[in-house]
Amino acid sequence: MPMISRRSFTVGTLMSLGVAGMPMFVRAQEGKTVALLFDSLVSPFWVSGIEIMRQTAEAKGWTTLEAISDFDDNKQFEQVQAMIERQVDGILIIQTDANAVIPAIRAANEAGIPMVHFNRPPAENEYYSVAIQADNRKITQDTVQFMVDEARRLGGTYKAAILIGDLGDVNAIQRRDGFFDIVDQNTDIIEVVARIATEWNADKAFAGLTNAFQANPDINFLFTSSDFMLPQIQQVLRVAGRWHKRGEEGHVIFGAFDGDATAYQLLVDGYLDADGVQNLFLEVEMAFGAFEAMWAGEQPDKLLLDPGFVIHAGNLEEVRDEMWGYVVWQKEHG
Amino acid sequence: MSATAVEAGGGAGLRRFLVRHVLMSEYLVLYLSVLYFLAIWPFVPEMATASTAGNILSAMLPLLVVAIGQTIVLIIAGIDLSVTAVIAMASVVGASIMTGDGGYLAGSPFAVPGGIVAFLVIGGAVGLFNGVCSTKLRMPSFIVTLTMMMFLSGAALWYTTAHTETSSIAALPSAFVAIGGGDVAGIPNALWVALAVAVAMHLLLSRTLFGQWLYAIGRNREAARISGVPVDKVIIWAFVISGLLAALASILYTGRLETGTPVLGRRFLLDIIGAAVIGGTSLFGGHGKVVWTVFGVLFLAMINASLDLIGLGHDFAVGVKGAVILLAAVLDAARRRVLARQ
Repeated sequence: MPMISRRSFTVGTLMSLGVAGMPMFVRAQEGKTVALLFDSLVSPFWVSGIEIMRQTAEAKGWTTLEAISDFDDNKQFEQVQAMIERQVDGILIIQTDANAVIPAIRAANEAGIPMVHFNRPPAENEYYSVAIQADNRKITQDTVQFMVDEARRLGGTYKAAILIGDLGDVNAIQRRDGFFDIVDQNTDIIEVVARIATEWNADKAFAGLTNAFQANPDINFLFTSSDFMLPQIQQVLRVAGRWHKRGEEGHVIFGAFDGDATAYQLLVDGYLDADGVQNLFLEVEMAFGAFEAMWAGEQPDKLLLDPGFVIHAGNLEEVRDEMWGYVVWQKEHG
Repeated sequence: MSATAVEAGGGAGLRRFLVRHVLMSEYLVLYLSVLYFLAIWPFVPEMATASTAGNILSAMLPLLVVAIGQTIVLIIAGIDLSVTAVIAMASVVGASIMTGDGGYLAGSPFAVPGGIVAFLVIGGAVGLFNGVCSTKLRMPSFIVTLTMMMFLSGAALWYTTAHTETSSIAALPSAFVAIGGGDVAGIPNALWVALAVAVAMHLLLSRTLFGQWLYAIGRNREAARISGVPVDKVIIWAFVISGLLAALASILYTGRLETGTPVLGRRFLLDIIGAAVIGGTSLFGGHGKVVWTVFGVLFLAMINASLDLIGLGHDFAVGVKGAVILLAAVLDAARRRVLARQ
């Protein structure tokens, strides 16, 4: 007869009870409860975003429940169903796919729970929800236009590279389109020689940009669809001997998008020429305001746009207080 | 006999009972699911509602279908990493045929049948390719299916961008959507599909010569070959079945989300393999049952549902899930060790 020792049995039982007891810490509290359903925390933008949401909700006396779908639309649909079961007062969702979220909107509508899409709107549909989104295409156009103006000021011709996000993400598509809207109007001085598909993966960004510089060592105009890839880009440019400040020989005209702390530091140091900034504080305020409006029986517009802005050396001190990355940078630097 | 001796005897008896009827049982994972449910219930009372049970069931069904296919491949000591990419590729190709937004068969009465055939053809063809490479070219199934996964993942994205301006394909016919998301008298249509697959595969494994051949190949491929088992054919068919079931799961997932998307399934490869292995199917081949995979899928679906309901932060949720699965794996390993001693 096989035997299990008393000690093994006790350890196994304690492990079971310990694991089962972990959820005790997060029982729901009184007041409004809002679900924060993210698809990832893959970049500083999302990490800062969820932190600002937590703080803002706490200041309002709300409780937050959180879930991350890890870019899985199906998983996120299940999370929405779970939050409906929990009878939350509102669902803030960052979906991966604009079409695949529609069954979730319908389920929330049927349950009478307001839904707000943060940063990514759903595809056009017959159900009601409110989306808060940065005007990606316009902000990218403005950023790239600043880079082109800089290129024309300096003279010469340029070989360009763009790091594109995950084409399953509408933000990535809009930023790519914003880039080409401007570059295609300036083909007399700019030739795009590298379109690097990163799938929002820093390792792929590093490998793709390394290959691009090996194939085209004279790339001198670079745009990244997200700031979170800046450390990898810096590394590649260093290795390629192309990491130079504005005004120095061999400087790559460099633009980015998001507004994180690294971008702020690189703007200050002179390596980055321009950064398209999503006004994260404004977007959280708009999202929570939409919940309050819906709880009050109002029906805000289905799409509320954050106009964002471009930050560069010329307006750095003037607009940096609205740059969420600057706030993070300030905390890190005392 | 003294009272203390009686108590000690009772304690030993309980331990013997637990070892014999719980730890040694092939229903261990089912018991763990019940234990987990009872442990979590006081903290998440919503777990006991009918609608949560329905949600767990609807989450289980497509995962179960694809995990059963994985079980077949694991039994022959192979692995099929391409199933998630099959799900994605079949999703966008099938959707591009059916979509009312410029689909190849848009508005035609053949739209839905044509789309479903496309799903299955992709699954079957990928499975055939995987099987042929594994047998005729003697390539490890890990490498064949890993590279196939990479190729199909990229191809699905490319195919989607070639067919739509957006990141996915919507406007699917309601008759198709009903397969994954609809129900009849409260019973999900997907349940019938999953039930049919589970019963068919159970019978295939337990009542047919083909099933015996699968186990024989998994235990010792060369011995099976010498014994007259048509090893290559059986392996090819195992991969074809896995591909077809992945395609069938894709039909359920795509119908559920009402969207063909190139990132569908990208993130749940570990759930698929994990469900089969936690259930008791061996990664080294020769052991596995459909009912074990059902238990593994149930266990994972229940953990996922409870963590979703709790609304924990991401780090904590991943930690709890990992801890629970680790606990299940440790118990399973202990069980196997004891069985091996016997």
